[in-house]
Amino acid sequence: MKQGGVHKKLLEIDLTRSTVHTRRIKDRLLKDYIGGRALATRIFFDAVNPSCDPLSPENIVVIAASPLTGTTAPTAARGHMVFKSPLTGMIGSSNCGGSWAYYLKSAGYDIILIKGRSQKPALIDIKPESVKIGSAENIWGLNVHKTTDILTRKKKRARILCIGQAGENCVRFSSVMNDKNRAYGRGGPGAVFGSKHLKAIRVQGDKKTDIKKEEAFRAGKEQAEYIMKAAPITKRLLKELGTAGLIKLINLMEMLPHKNFQDNVHQDKDINEVSGEKIKKDLLKRPGACFGCPIACQRHTSVDGKTGEGPEYETLVMLGPQCGIYDLKSITKANYLCNELGLDSISMGGTTACVMELFEKGIINKQDTDGIPFLFGRSDMLEETIRRTAFREGIGDRISEGSYRFAELFHNPSYSMSVKKMEIPAYDPRSSFTQGLGYMTSPTGACHLRGGYAVSLAFFGGAKEIPRFSLLQSPIAIRNMQNLGIIQDSLGICRFTGFAFSTEPWSRMLSGVTGYEYSSGEFVQMAGRVAALERVFNLRAGLTYPDDSLPPRFSSQPITVQGQKTTLSQKAQSKMREDYYKARGWSVPEGIPSKKILESIELEEI
Amino acid sequence: MTSDKWEADETLIRLFQSVGRILLDKDLEDSHSGNISTLWKDAEGNEKIVITAAGSQKGDLEPNQICFLSPSETDYGYYKASSETDIHAKILSIPGVRAVIHAHTKELTIMTFDEEEKPNKPSPFIPIDSLGFYHLNGRIPVDWVEVPCGSPEMTRIIPERLAQHKIMVLQGHGTFSRGSTVKKALFHVCLANNSGYIARQAQKLDIDIHNLREKITQSPSSFFPYPPNTYEQYEGAAEKIEGEEEITEEFKKTAARIFKSNLSPFHTGSMSIRGVDKILYAPKASMPREIGGPILDLPLSLKSKEKDRELTIHKQIYEQTDFQTVIHCCIPEAEAVSYFVPPGREKPIDRVVPIDAEGSFFYLAIPILPPAFQSETFIRLLHDYKIVIIRGGGVWSVGEQSLSEALHHPSSLRDICLYILGAYERGLDISKLQPDKAKQW
Repeated sequence: MKQGGVHKKLLEIDLTRSTVHTRRIKDRLLKDYIGGRALATRIFFDAVNPSCDPLSPENIVVIAASPLTGTTAPTAARGHMVFKSPLTGMIGSSNCGGSWAYYLKSAGYDIILIKGRSQKPALIDIKPESVKIGSAENIWGLNVHKTTDILTRKKKRARILCIGQAGENCVRFSSVMNDKNRAYGRGGPGAVFGSKHLKAIRVQGDKKTDIKKEEAFRAGKEQAEYIMKAAPITKRLLKELGTAGLIKLINLMEMLPHKNFQDNVHQDKDINEVSGEKIKKDLLKRPGACFGCPIACQRHTSVDGKTGEGPEYETLVMLGPQCGIYDLKSITKANYLCNELGLDSISMGGTTACVMELFEKGIINKQDTDGIPFLFGRSDMLEETIRRTAFREGIGDRISEGSYRFAELFHNPSYSMSVKKMEIPAYDPRSSFTQGLGYMTSPTGACHLRGGYAVSLAFFGGAKEIPRFSLLQSPIAIRNMQNLGIIQDSLGICRFTGFAFSTEPWSRMLSGVTGYEYSSGEFVQMAGRVAALERVFNLRAGLTYPDDSLPPRFSSQPITVQGQKTTLSQKAQSKMREDYYKARGWSVPEGIPSKKILESIELEEI
Repeated sequence: MTSDKWEADETLIRLFQSVGRILLDKDLEDSHSGNISTLWKDAEGNEKIVITAAGSQKGDLEPNQICFLSPSETDYGYYKASSETDIHAKILSIPGVRAVIHAHTKELTIMTFDEEEKPNKPSPFIPIDSLGFYHLNGRIPVDWVEVPCGSPEMTRIIPERLAQHKIMVLQGHGTFSRGSTVKKALFHVCLANNSGYIARQAQKLDIDIHNLREKITQSPSSFFPYPPNTYEQYEGAAEKIEGEEEITEEFKKTAARIFKSNLSPFHTGSMSIRGVDKILYAPKASMPREIGGPILDLPLSLKSKEKDRELTIHKQIYEQTDFQTVIHCCIPEAEAVSYFVPPGREKPIDRVVPIDAEGSFFYLAIPILPPAFQSETFIRLLHDYKIVIIRGGGVWSVGEQSLSEALHHPSSLRDICLYILGAYERGLDISKLQPDKAKQW
């Protein structure tokens, strides 16, 4: 039987040789790894040297769509990108909404592999009838929005994946953008593009994604849509307030970070100033949605005559309260700038907060900061800091290396609130041990999405809510959340669907699309294999188990949660980490996947 | 009655109050009916009969409505004690019996009415569910008496029956059950009424229960291959997990919901949360808050021969899946529906297809497995449906994270079955109410 939902075509592009090859993807690979993150990880794993310099031509970028992409499955237009991260030195794995992945399928491809380095700025142009590597010299140096506008001029059905100046300058936390404001944000994929002199990938086409069993597909789809309409987060909160609607709730849960995670104390009036409600009242022009998404959490906003998207929750907090800033306009403008220049706003905010603390503690001074007083609450310097970072000007050159390298340069790496050198996002791990373990064990560094969106279990989980501080439940809970994340990333669907349901409707939809009978159990097995592949890659890249730890602040400096002084002690971290390894079938204390698991991913040794 | 003072034992009084409330809440009594008794030793070691007062409200027992009597005295008719005290006393004299409950078990009473000319010897009641069948020895005797309230005939017949059986039905009146503890006597009452309820629901679905009973009696093991745990198996075990207060509370909350929402009879079913190398296990999942039950901290590894088959299944699920929680319960409506043979068909259904809006969207279908099932199939179905009905073996559900998640499934299933039962009772064609999309699954 011919599998539905896929073209079975991998596009391999060598920028050094300027060659393009179309390869057929093996049936078994598609069956076992489905698409998106799983398929991209397997192909990346088999193709790249883990010890390569992430900014060298040796690094490889793999971008994959899923069999559901191109169908009407709700939210299923997300693409996944895998690369070696220049920020962490580990696997980089980033997921993005928008519409680009849908158009990649329309162009007749499921997956792209990019290697080498172009001598000159390059544009990859993909159509069903041809794939060309052209010059991008005319757009090199332009920001994301201008690049997108130029490349889509007179091409209404074209979609653009591109970098801004931050990527061109290899900022270690620069992003790759699509639909102007949607980001493959974390871990520095923009820098990898920049290092390859790859400015943009344009896709266009009209290829359809076929569905093998329409009735079966529709049964799962209707079920998913019904539940999403019934669940309050997907039905109302995200639609009405966007992700920024979380801010008051996260603050209520005493989880909202403040001043580089020094505490979690905010004034209510300050929080009101940066809330989703405030955005809706003062800035919102209209909500928007990624392709095929009924949730519609995008916020199209304007401020002082400028228009853009966001800010989203993470950006809002990391460029806001995390830096002691509660000025919504400044944060919004800073967010616009991050999108235009192609910067990960989470790492940008986290690194800025780190610099501010180092400055306030007297570890650095104005001589180190181009004369800029890096004080918490100084919203007036946000945009300039971002600009200097993207262009690597002055202090921006140091900031562009991320908080860990910055603090290390000044002999105080413990002020970097990062795991594996990636900045921790906007949920304090002392307020949810499960989330803390997620940051610790995320293969990509402190990412709330790759690490398991555990924070949702603490208050949005509905029936899935579990105690926030259970050492017994956290390891299994986070493994399961990470697995669910791998499944979602591999199906090309949005994390937020997890607020409504788990995997059952997806297995029905995927079975309908592909014609294979997929069980949720097979999804889970696949997730275990992907987690093992990511782990093995990281071990080969030099990871050791102490890297799966939180910065010392979280075990030594308490915050108040539910009336109790709370830390996530080293002992608790060790216990959870070891139990997590055991739950994964990895060795203790090293975290090496067992022989049986290695065999399941067709490896004999690490 | 020679006792000259009221004696107080707080634990015992609380137990009586709890059991009284449960009997009322579960509709096993009216406001004033029934009675509870037990043998009890006072501080001096004197054994006494403790019994509820005549006409007391069992749902709101006051300490002074719990009477402490001497069993050696013949005057059981102390003015405040139950009018059936002498029956209780006689039952309590049976070796090993230390508690008696008389209840108006309406479901069972309804199912044991007959239209025969009196006097007669009514047929025993044969449960069609595993719990009732095993725990109540396969049959519950039914007796007709001329005067079915406090009569000498009752005082003779009932203890005779209870010398052989754990519970008996006094036709048209209710049940007398015995136990080594009040909890166990309550367990028997709940199970017996539950069996009556299941049989009545099955009749509503036009299931030929006479034929079913015959087959069950001929070959019980092909209907109920695995006997449930004995009631005593975990008696006296710990009731909380040291150092895991939040999880202990989760267990208690979930257990109370299972009990209150009739998802499994009193002290039946089981539930667990897994850690990496241990399992927190409640072998009696249906636990009223005020009575509680065992919650154990056990190794996760599967022994080659576990004494507890339910525990074995919990462990097997964890061994073969990533689920974090498991609940097993015996939803009476699901037990009945699992035997449903749709008009024009010969075999019972192999899936429950919800006909209500919410049920049909959460669960396009819920699979039913035969009593002896393949482990591989069971695990696959758990992955895809999160809940599986075993005909004659209860309902298993799983959660990726929490007990609450695993609880949602059986709770929904009960609603789903109630809709089906109700619609069928109204004469509606169930197949026409089933959404077309469910036919895909």
